[in-house]
Amino acid sequence: MAVNRRIFVSGTAATLAAPALIPSHAFGQDKVIRFTMAQDFTRIYTFVTSEYSQGQRDYFTLINERGGVNGHRIQADVADHANDLPRAIEAYERGKREGAVLCDPLSTPVARALVPRALEDKINLITAFSGRSDAADGSAFPYVLPLSINYWTQAGLIVDHFAKVAGGSLRGKKIVFVHIDTPFGKEPLPILQVLAQRQGFELVTFPYTPPGNDQAAIWPQVRRARPDFVMFWGAGVGQTVAMTEAIRNGLPMDRVSSSVWMSESDMEVVGKAAAKGVMKVEPCASGRDPKPIKDILAEVVAKGKGAGPEAKIGTAYYNYGVQMASLMVEGVRKAFEKSPNGPITGAWLNEGLRSISNFTAEGMLPPTTVTKEDHQGGGQGRISQWDGTKFVPITGWFTANQDVVWGEVKKYSEEFRRTGK
Amino acid sequence: MDYILIAELAVSGLFVGLMYALVSLGIVLIYKTSGLVNLAQGAMAMTGGYVTWAIAAGLGAPMWIAIMAALVVMFGAGMMVERLALRRMIGQPVIMTIMLTLGIEIMLRGLMPGVFGAAVKRLDIGIPQAPLFLGELLINRATLIGGVISLGLIVLSLAFFNSRYGVVMRAVADDQTASWSVGIRVERAIAVAWGLGAVMATSAGILWGATQGVDWSLSLLLVKALAIAILGGLDSIPGVLLAGLIVGVAESLATGIIDPLVGGGTRDIVASVIILVTLLLKPHGLFGREHIERV
Amino acid sequence: MFYRRAGIRHTRYQDERQLFPLGFDRFLILSVLALLIAAPFLLDRFYLAGYLIPWLIWTSAALGLNLLMGGAGQIHLGYGAVMAIGAYTSVHLVRAGVPLEFAMIAGGLMSASIGIVFGAAALRVKGIYLAMATLAMQYIVDFVISQTPAISGGSLATIQVPPVSFLGISLRGDTETYYFALFVCFLIALFMLNVGRTSFGRALAAVREKDYAAQILGVSVFKYKLLAFWVSSFIGGVVGSVLAVCYLRAISPDQFHIELSIQLLAMVIVGGLGSVLGPFFGAALILFAPIVLNNLTGLVATSFGLAIPIDLRAHIPLIAYGALVIGFLLYEPLGLAKIYSNLRNYMLVWPFRHAQR
Repeated sequence: MAVNRRIFVSGTAATLAAPALIPSHAFGQDKVIRFTMAQDFTRIYTFVTSEYSQGQRDYFTLINERGGVNGHRIQADVADHANDLPRAIEAYERGKREGAVLCDPLSTPVARALVPRALEDKINLITAFSGRSDAADGSAFPYVLPLSINYWTQAGLIVDHFAKVAGGSLRGKKIVFVHIDTPFGKEPLPILQVLAQRQGFELVTFPYTPPGNDQAAIWPQVRRARPDFVMFWGAGVGQTVAMTEAIRNGLPMDRVSSSVWMSESDMEVVGKAAAKGVMKVEPCASGRDPKPIKDILAEVVAKGKGAGPEAKIGTAYYNYGVQMASLMVEGVRKAFEKSPNGPITGAWLNEGLRSISNFTAEGMLPPTTVTKEDHQGGGQGRISQWDGTKFVPITGWFTANQDVVWGEVKKYSEEFRRTGK
Repeated sequence: MDYILIAELAVSGLFVGLMYALVSLGIVLIYKTSGLVNLAQGAMAMTGGYVTWAIAAGLGAPMWIAIMAALVVMFGAGMMVERLALRRMIGQPVIMTIMLTLGIEIMLRGLMPGVFGAAVKRLDIGIPQAPLFLGELLINRATLIGGVISLGLIVLSLAFFNSRYGVVMRAVADDQTASWSVGIRVERAIAVAWGLGAVMATSAGILWGATQGVDWSLSLLLVKALAIAILGGLDSIPGVLLAGLIVGVAESLATGIIDPLVGGGTRDIVASVIILVTLLLKPHGLFGREHIERV
Repeated sequence: MFYRRAGIRHTRYQDERQLFPLGFDRFLILSVLALLIAAPFLLDRFYLAGYLIPWLIWTSAALGLNLLMGGAGQIHLGYGAVMAIGAYTSVHLVRAGVPLEFAMIAGGLMSASIGIVFGAAALRVKGIYLAMATLAMQYIVDFVISQTPAISGGSLATIQVPPVSFLGISLRGDTETYYFALFVCFLIALFMLNVGRTSFGRALAAVREKDYAAQILGVSVFKYKLLAFWVSSFIGGVVGSVLAVCYLRAISPDQFHIELSIQLLAMVIVGGLGSVLGPFFGAALILFAPIVLNNLTGLVATSFGLAIPIDLRAHIPLIAYGALVIGFLLYEPLGLAKIYSNLRNYMLVWPFRHAQR
């Protein structure tokens, strides 16, 4: 290879200078609503982001193909922030300068760093399945919108379902909670402790070190604790390893449940047949049956405008992306209902997002109602079970233990209100 | 105290430790001959896992052919890395080589998921998942088989150092200039060491990939591997074997005994503590050769 | 041409011993400084908050690391942990009502006193072993911070930084924080420029070149290795608190992980080991190359309709980051500062190449 110093240096310089020389496109169409979709494709959230983003972009394409919302196109600026704050803040500031009214970072550390900025700049920060759980309190965080069930609610739903399986009461039962040893993994602990006290079950917790690629020493202990139910809380590789170890330790998989972070590709890794019976929380319907997914297949993918591999369509994380995108579009729609002439700003969209009521995206989501106080959207989800080929819902949309969840939400949002601002 | 639990954890720790030792075996091979610590060893394990997956899934080859092919490809890749990058660094300060291997690590961590996709890949080498009970004791089949294969490879590399070419490599490890003067091709010996290092990394990547799936997090094996290499002595293969067992058991027991006391996952911190304590008490490890510095 | 070297005749020793003996260098530095001071009035807030502030902060940190690595020749893979100690100490103090001025110093002192433990390892081992020891300490500090709720801040593990003011100026807006970061960066750069001219700096250089030889010459290796770690950790702690107050505004343990340490290491290497100018270049390149590449690939994908798979597209900056580090080590081991100095040497006597330097 005849690369010498001069070629290397000048090549580097040329690559870096190129963007300055290419005239940046002035996006002339004024009828555009910009969303900043800077997400983590490369570091921690690799397991979800590409499918999630594909779902979002496909849904936006669907809306734009149909003529947009009120004649306005939705433009999603996708970028990678690699869970790295300088890059995330740069992307956020860039979006703000270009008039973006919404930002969806899909990363807990980034969301936390952006919260003060978003509140100040009045830009809607979507923190679905990430960020602060206490952002459900809309009165403390007007511009931070999870729009979906937070981890506390998910834990509450699972415990409620366990109670149903156990025949109504968990008294005297033992629930083991295996979690990744990060703030995210420890998040459900306060809720579980309160519930354990209130419902009289015994809670045993086992933390494992992130990212959880070796849990060989954890699961023998879980097995020996002889639990009635097991919850495991992690993401990405930690989830697949947890399931594999649970199988190897011979735990009954139909007594094992996790949060929303489980998808078909995890099952692929674990072995589809072996993982049969394991449960998860579903924030929206999965598979290709929901109407929006069918529409995407017919109107976007069939025309060759799909954003990614067709095989991924209908997977859990893809549908989460569609779910969030449909909520954002619904927010835009509501905002146009409220003030049809704009101007299109963060505050304008915020009004819309916070008046979403009973929205189900044609049956794909649980009825979601966002109010000025409740940014969680009602806290409904369902439990579904892996049957060897797909996730099958075993409950209807339901909500549970919201009083405990909101007690915790209020505790932290009060703290934020007192010291943060 | 639950003695059966402790026994079970210790047994599982032994096998897991052997699987870690496989990664550090590559580090030791490379350090022994060239005096460089390869911080890209974890990323090479990841690369090996990805390459195996790509050959098996992309070309539809049976798994054993895919593994063989991946080992050959990675042997070449290891030699290429040495030839193209590390050889130019001879005579540079140690920080430069550290940074260079870190740079290779970063690049591989971007390249592999970028080309083959970031989602976790399944690598099925046919280890059944059903639990295996030995009385009260549960033996994890995957770590059992992985540990045995690792042990085999470590013994094999010990034997290799007694073969004809192994003697050449020992000579290079002993004194590069002297080897040169008696007609040994030092560069080739170093390149072979890198190739073998990559092969070890690949085998580790396959074994770990089979238990956890293949994605970027395979590159995190590096820290454990370093702890083992440092504890055993950076230039000792028997050291790797013993240190692997020690680190594996220590980690496993820490998870069982210290975790409940601290209320957090102590598994990873064990490796760091071992590195630190070794360096402060016996910097050259259990079996490492003392390096005498002359002005 | 610019430097007019031939026309400059120093007649006093002070003139020649100035920081910048050449008039043009002084002019260049002053104009860059003037530009930086005027930046908030010239540039959009986007460039200020998105580029200049992180650049100044990361440069300050890289300068502190460079004192240790370039100045004293010690390897440190745990600088992120040192910054974390400073950041957490000062944020906790600020929350307890201590003014930022003191909290910053306290953060620096705390970092320095723990950082000196890293230095203790340097007394025992060196080279690759020291790298491993500092790496281990990075993990240990991370673990202690995230496992102690009193430090990391409860189950959400995020601590909000309350509104603060520095010397009576409230650090709320971007302009104020920018000037604050610039001020700190200026002080550190000034210190770094001068340290080479002190006995301390010369002793460090002796330790760097060969510690045994330095000991024989009467330079206490024990003292100067520890001092190097002390000073550099102090700077790291102060910069950590600046980072928390100016830029992050809410700190959590994962912001100071090994990635930060490696990033700073890369900045020092790419910028130029031992140079003061280097970290400025290195920080800019390592921080902004991914951003620029990201935008470039995005632009190419949208405007030319190139269907690069999103996985590959997203990983290009990471690949490039690695490639940059490798490329610089192979082709320009002395970094960007060396390229600049080549250019400057060429210009010194341009167009009379035959003239004596």
